[in-house]
Amino acid sequence: MTDATQETLQDRNGHAREGRSETSHHTGTDPKRDEKGYYGIPPIKPAHWTWQIPVYFWIGGIAAGVQLFTTLANVLGHKDEALTRIGRYTSLVAMILSPILLIWDLGRPERFLNMMRIWKLRSPMSNQSWSLVLYGNLGGLLAARQAAEDGLLGRNFLSTLLTKLIPARLLSVLALPVALFVGSNTGTLLSATSVPMWARNWALMGPTFLASGVSTALSYLSLVLHLGRWGEQKTHHVLRRAERAVILVEAVLIAASVVRMGRWGKPLFSKEVAPLFVGGTLLGGIAAPLALLFGKETRGKSILTSVLVLLGGLAFRFAMVLGGRQSANDPEAYFSFAKAENAPQPDDSI
Amino acid sequence: MATGFLTDTTVCIGCKACEVACKQWNQLPADGYKLTGNSYDNTGHLSGTTWRHVAFIENPKKRRLTGDVDLVALAEDVREQLPGGAELDALGRWTFMSDVCKHCVEAPCQQACPTGSIIRNEFDNVYIQPDVCNGCGYCVPACPYGVITQVPGDGRAFKCTLCYDRQRDGLEPACAKACPTNSIMFGEVEELKKVAEERVEALYAKGYTEAYVWGTPQVGGTGGIGGNHSKFILLDEPETYNLPRHPFLPQEKVKGAFVASAVAAGVLGAVVALAFRD
Repeated sequence: MTDATQETLQDRNGHAREGRSETSHHTGTDPKRDEKGYYGIPPIKPAHWTWQIPVYFWIGGIAAGVQLFTTLANVLGHKDEALTRIGRYTSLVAMILSPILLIWDLGRPERFLNMMRIWKLRSPMSNQSWSLVLYGNLGGLLAARQAAEDGLLGRNFLSTLLTKLIPARLLSVLALPVALFVGSNTGTLLSATSVPMWARNWALMGPTFLASGVSTALSYLSLVLHLGRWGEQKTHHVLRRAERAVILVEAVLIAASVVRMGRWGKPLFSKEVAPLFVGGTLLGGIAAPLALLFGKETRGKSILTSVLVLLGGLAFRFAMVLGGRQSANDPEAYFSFAKAENAPQPDDSI
Repeated sequence: MATGFLTDTTVCIGCKACEVACKQWNQLPADGYKLTGNSYDNTGHLSGTTWRHVAFIENPKKRRLTGDVDLVALAEDVREQLPGGAELDALGRWTFMSDVCKHCVEAPCQQACPTGSIIRNEFDNVYIQPDVCNGCGYCVPACPYGVITQVPGDGRAFKCTLCYDRQRDGLEPACAKACPTNSIMFGEVEELKKVAEERVEALYAKGYTEAYVWGTPQVGGTGGIGGNHSKFILLDEPETYNLPRHPFLPQEKVKGAFVASAVAAGVLGAVVALAFRD
């Protein structure tokens, strides 16, 4: 062996002894090698959902809240034709937009009717499709009667028939639970997945989305009535009072959700989502409107409040969907969640 | 009769024949020519177009070589005491695992699927009917193992069919057929269970006391999933192979969420009704 070879070997051995070898077999020198996990590749896949889905969540929530308010007004004997009219047309428009958004988001939109092949009670997506069909039909009938009453279908035999044959009160009472289901199921839909942030909060996802939906709906009604200068004084008054209470309920539910999510709720406060969640939802959609709702009532202030609540509700849905994507893409979150004490288990109560 | 896989990672040599055989038989498109730099794994993970994926886990040990080292014994990871006080564990292991759809007993993707496209076929395998799937994508976040994705361009979701077509013709799945070390075993689930137990016992006897079966109702197929028809014999923590330790069936709480939502609806209704009071 020549001296040079000897030197080279010694050099290499010396290298190895000092632990500075550059092969990837050494944990300390390979930054890509995680102690836990597999090269930081997410063990689960995120949902592909694009903007159509959070927008649908928003519209579905508004439809649910509008149905709740108008039905209660009807049942409790509060007569306001403008309110009834807006409520019925809104549910029709919402139930036309929702399926369009959802079908748009499908990988094979032309096969949307396959959703109607079966009904699976354990699949929130299946329940959602069927509840939209049901509510869409009920809302459509109510809107048809409204259109007939308003003379939009002309003064003819058909209009008279529709007005006589469609039992408005019965239908709106029947539509109420379906609408509320649509509103809450937008949250349940997210929670029934393997995404840690959503699944951890399974008990509160539906309630929180529903509360947010009702608050956006009250704001929506108030906004439309104000813009058109319609509605009775009492309607405006009730809307304002209800809005105050519902925003408080929503705030409590969101706070409870954040607590329940714990460390898996971190994505909500990440650089990407925090502007939506903290800025849009907590400050813009809850704190600011709440401050505006107390104090003197003016038309301008009411309109501003409504716009803030509506945008806050939209921001909330985008924050939840985007946060879920981050949660799914974080291996540490899923691995820590997929341990017996953290993930929901069959025999858990909460 | 339920069929499934048993993937014994202790004899996998990382040849990727299963990946290739799967792609060829099922006519799956290529995923592009990307070099990840993660060992020799340029596939990365399972997807709608990758139904077998070989993970390359470089598992270094921090101890140094001392004494008179028997390099052959070292490479074979022999653990008996050797003369001269030689340390044999120094190179560590290079582990491979051929990942695949777990074919859960209670499959979350199947429960999530709103079209009924995902079914259990006559071999008790979880199977996506491509002529029914409308690409809603709800099975993707439902899967606790990240197996399914939607295929861009096609729009539908795909995953391992456990070679339904081959099984119909009495053949074993392409990956199992191609595996040169029999790391991938195909057969009846009950039989594979026995094979797995025997293999783990044999590994114990050889000193590999860390060997265990992943995909049972105790580990890997937990939380209402009821175990997996694709089981694995692993030598390290599940997370090392990018597998969850204690996954759960996401639909387990749909009823509970419904009840909670109904209560919330009642409360919100009462709150709004109260606002109508004069």
